[in-house]
Formats: sequence, C-alpha cells, structure tokens
Amino acid sequence: MTRFQRFPTAPARLVLAWRAAALVAAALIVGVLLALSGRDVFVLGELVLRSTVGSRFGLEDLALFMTPLVLTGAAVTVTSRIGLWNIGGEGQFYLGAIGAAGVGLYLPGPQIIVLPLMALAAIACGMAWIVVPTLARAYAGVSEIITTLLLNFVAGLLTYWLATGPWRDRVTGALASSGRISDAIPELWGVVHWGFPLSLAIAAGLAAIMTWTGWGYEVRVSGANPGAARYAGMPMRGRVIAVMLLSGALAALAGMFEVAGTVHRLQGGMADNFGYLGIVVAVLARRSCLAVIPAALLMALILDAGIVLQTQQLAATAVLAITGLVLLLIAIGDELAHYRPVAPASSTRSGAAA
Amino acid sequence: MIMLLTGLLTTAALAGGVLSLAALGEVLAERVGVTDLGVEGLMSIGAATAALAAIASGSPWVGLLAAICVGAAGAAAFAFATVVMRANQVLCGLATTFLGLGLSATIGHSVAGLPLPVTFGPEPVPLLSSIPVIGPAFFGQNLLVFPIYLVLPALLHMLLFHTRHGLNMRAVGENPAAADAVGVPVQAIRFWYTVLGGAFAGAAGAYLSLAVIPSWSEGMVSGRGWIAVALVIFSGYRPFNAAGAGLLFGLISAIGFLGQARGWPIAAPVLNMLPYLGTLAFIILPVVLWKRMRRAMAAPAALGAPYYRSVR
Repeated sequence: MTRFQRFPTAPARLVLAWRAAALVAAALIVGVLLALSGRDVFVLGELVLRSTVGSRFGLEDLALFMTPLVLTGAAVTVTSRIGLWNIGGEGQFYLGAIGAAGVGLYLPGPQIIVLPLMALAAIACGMAWIVVPTLARAYAGVSEIITTLLLNFVAGLLTYWLATGPWRDRVTGALASSGRISDAIPELWGVVHWGFPLSLAIAAGLAAIMTWTGWGYEVRVSGANPGAARYAGMPMRGRVIAVMLLSGALAALAGMFEVAGTVHRLQGGMADNFGYLGIVVAVLARRSCLAVIPAALLMALILDAGIVLQTQQLAATAVLAITGLVLLLIAIGDELAHYRPVAPASSTRSGAAA
Repeated sequence: MIMLLTGLLTTAALAGGVLSLAALGEVLAERVGVTDLGVEGLMSIGAATAALAAIASGSPWVGLLAAICVGAAGAAAFAFATVVMRANQVLCGLATTFLGLGLSATIGHSVAGLPLPVTFGPEPVPLLSSIPVIGPAFFGQNLLVFPIYLVLPALLHMLLFHTRHGLNMRAVGENPAAADAVGVPVQAIRFWYTVLGGAFAGAAGAYLSLAVIPSWSEGMVSGRGWIAVALVIFSGYRPFNAAGAGLLFGLISAIGFLGQARGWPIAAPVLNMLPYLGTLAFIILPVVLWKRMRRAMAAPAALGAPYYRSVR
C-alpha cells in the first residue's frame, strides 16, 4: 500500500497541478453560487471572456490593471525573498500617489523634467512610509506584518484629507479629488501608457538582480537560511533595511503610475486594494520576480471579470471575496504539493529510523 | 472636569468593547499557536450578519447569536485550511479577511446605511450605574459592556492559567511535540480554539454594528480587526491585558470623537489616524524601551508554525 509523505520541498509541476485544481475549484464554487442566485453562468462566462481577452477594450483594461499589480506584486515578492511580509503596499501606493501628485500639482515645468521628478518624489515618499516598520524590524524585531498594515489606514486617511482639504479640486469641485494634473505619462496603445512596459521591465530587472548579483544572492540566502547567512558574515540587517526600502519604493511607483498614467488626480480610495492584491500576486509568483508578470495577468483577469459581474447587479466587493477564495484554495494547494507517495513503509523503516 | 471624564470613559468603554472582544478571541487562537489574521474579515461578516439577523428577527440578541455562528463558521474554514491542511497561516488569514470583507459587502448592501430598528441600547444596572465616573461607563450602557471587560477576561484567565486544560492549551502553543507526546490532542485543541476565537470576532462585529455605530455600512470595521491583532501582541497574550488594551484604544478614539464634537482645528481624517498611530507606537515602544519585558511578554514559541507529527 502506498502512503503519502510530506517532503520539505515541493516540485514545481506538483505546485502547478495543485494550483490549477485550486483555480478550477474556485471557478466551480463561484459558478455554483452564481447559478444558485439565478444567473446564467454560461452567458456570464462568455461575457467575461469577450470583455477581457476577446476585445481590444478588454485587452487595454487588462494592461491598465496589470501595471500597478506587477509593481505591488514585485514589492511583496522582494520582501518575501528575505523572509518578510510587506503588507503595507496599499499605504506606500498612496504615499507614492501623494508624492507624485504634489509635484505634478505645484511644480510647473516641461513634462520631460516633471515626470521623472514625480517618480522620484513618489519613491522618496514610499520609502519614508516604510522606514518606521523597517527600523522596528531590523533593530527591535517587531513583526513587520502589523506595523506596515496599520500605516495603510493612516495613508488612506492622509490621502482623503489632502484630496478633500488642502489639495481639493477648486475648479470643477470633484468629490474627494485633487485638481487635474496636466503632466501625464504618454500613451502607447489606446489608453495603455508607457508605465505598462516600464513595469514589466522593472520586474525583469529585479529578477536579474536577484538571480545574478551578489546582493541578490545574499538576500536569497538571508531569507532561506538566516542562521547560515549570519554564519557566513552577511550583513543581514543591512539587507533587510535595503529590501524593505526597495519594496516601499516599488509600491510607491505603482501609485505614481496610477496618478500620472490613469487617474491624473489624487483621489481618496484610489489605491483600490492594489496594495493588498499585490500580496496575492506575490503568493502566486512564488518568490520569483519574473513570475510576478503572469501572476499579475491572472489577477488582472479576475479584477476584469469582477467588473463584468458588477454590471450584473453584484456588489463591487464580490471580486474581493473571489480573490480571498482563490488565495485560500491556492494556499491549501501549495501545502498539498509537498506530499508525494512513497513506497510501503515496512521495507524502509529500519533505514529511515536512523 | 468630572463630566468630561465620565463622557470620555463612557465613549471609550463603548468603542473599546469591539477591540477587547476581538482581541480576547485572538488571544485564544494565538495561545494555542494559530495566528488568525482573518479577524478583520470575520468581524466584517459578523457585523453584516448581525444587522441582517437583527432586522429579520427584531431582536439584537438573535443578531448577536447569528454573528457568533457566522464568525465561528468562517474561522472553521480558516482552521480547516491552516490546522487540518496545515497551509500557510499568514496567507490563509489574509484570504479570510478578503473573503469576509467581500462577502459582508455582498450580503449587506441591501441594509447599508440604514438605521437599525433594534440595537443594544443603554440598560443601566441599578445602584452600580450611579458610581461616579466608572458607573455610567461600565454599568450605565448596554448589557454587553460589563461582561466584555470583566466576566469574559476573568473566565479566559481562569481557563488559561488555572485549569489543567488551560495548561494543555498553552503547551500546544509553546511545544506541540511535547504536548502530543503526553497525549494532548494538538490538532483538535488548535482547531476548536481557533473556531472559538472566530466566534469572538463575529461577536465583536455584531457589537460594532448593533451597539457602537449602530448601523451597517461597507468598510465600517476599518482596521479594527488589525488593531485587535496588534493589541494581542501588546498585551503579552493575556486576557485581562487584552481587554484593558481595548479600553485604552477606545479612549484614544474617544479623544478623536471629542475633538470632532468640540470643533478642534484639526481635520476629522487626521483625528481618525490616532488609533492606528497609537497602536503603532504601543507595539514598537515597549519593545524598544523595556528589553527585559520581552521574555515575559513573548509570543507562544510555536505561534504560526503548523504541527507535523514527525515521520515514523
């Protein structure tokens, strides 16, 4: 009789197989729930396909969704490489948006100068936002999960305050929104702006740094085996600080792209869960910066499908529930991928006991 | 001055109850070694369920009961994934939060923003409620305030520190292999106390939508679940400390409310940042200032690690 034993590593093909099963299971559960609520699942499915990959508008939307997701996903991925979780992508996204909007609103000048300055301001703000959790983690061992997360709420309130108070739109009086920012990232294809290829390039660049540089090697070792890294004399604390700041900068850049590429204003609630969904993207990518790209594509598909469901009288947040379901099932699938059948125990028992 | 103090403490006791309830539940889960980061989601769905059930039945107690059941059911799904299937606790916690936030908005949008016909209103306890300052705060409000700060923490404290079962629970959180070796059912204890913790989170949501606000709207939990998780760390995983920390943070929000009511020249969103910044300070400062306290207040040693009985 074969029995299943847990191995410390999970082979990629088993992970993929279990994840595919998890996605199918999630789709089935959502489908059954939709059918129970009296909707025609097949008509909906066709609608989802047509409005995502099946039309030019759908593809443009996908690229727009993917841009911030690649960056927030990369932000979580780089911290996960060193064994940490930056749950504060949402807050750093807001701070990036604030930094970019501040420069865009109050610094006149030619676009070619202002746009890079917006990006720099965004990166500086995002790094500043993660500095306290970073130092608390590096010097006092305070869990970065809660500290980064709490700052999300502060950042959301700060954005809301700026957009309704000092920076509010005095021209059109748009609700909870700053004035329009004239400096915009040039468009590339329809509504898709240059931020999209740039974000893909950043993910690829990060993958290269992680794989081929000594710095990336040290980060990976520090995450995989802190004891060994310390023994080898690697500057763990310095690496933790650098990786966390890099993570804050990446999420903030997503905020800058959103302000300068898509929304052209600072708006309350504009982060729209992109920071949190970045965590899902990072989990899907399994710590690989390159895999962040297909993971972001999958997440963008789910978000896009959510918009279709919204037109069918479903609350906008239903997509959040679907994301949660997918994440839960994938977490289970990833664990199951550690199990492999082994030969009957009786013949190997004496050897295994040693 | 007395009036001001009474008013502050009354608001603090009311608002802090949400955090205390949720934190007490999280103490249970974390003591047996499970980090439940789904509290925010379980509270949201509890709040929405409570509002719906209270409207349908006409009784806030039915609303509370329904929220407790839903919180427990949500936590059972989480515990199935993390304890039975041994999946990553951080991920499953986040997933539970997403699920709870999403589902609560989906089921609750028919009652969003409506004033609730039945709520937990003030029902002063005779005599006790006329004690100056503390009387109105703890005995002059709804009937849940007093149990949240005294009865429940006392019960949990007794359970954890003065019973054999409590010793087993703590052993499961500190060293599951040793507990397993002496015959303590590690997986069952982890599963059921995580479920019970979720029931507390559901109750906290019901308390929020039926007593504190009282109404239901999307996003109303706004991070209270996360603050509760942080308070558990701050409280050193002790029930009385957790309930007290909830009260302390109720006080911080009460100062924010006071500022808005009195028209302080600080914008409302800025005042609303206070509880989050306060939590951040309270979670970082003690570790930095009193290094000796770290051991006494340390997390259970096996917190967050799934238990595998070693391969035989």
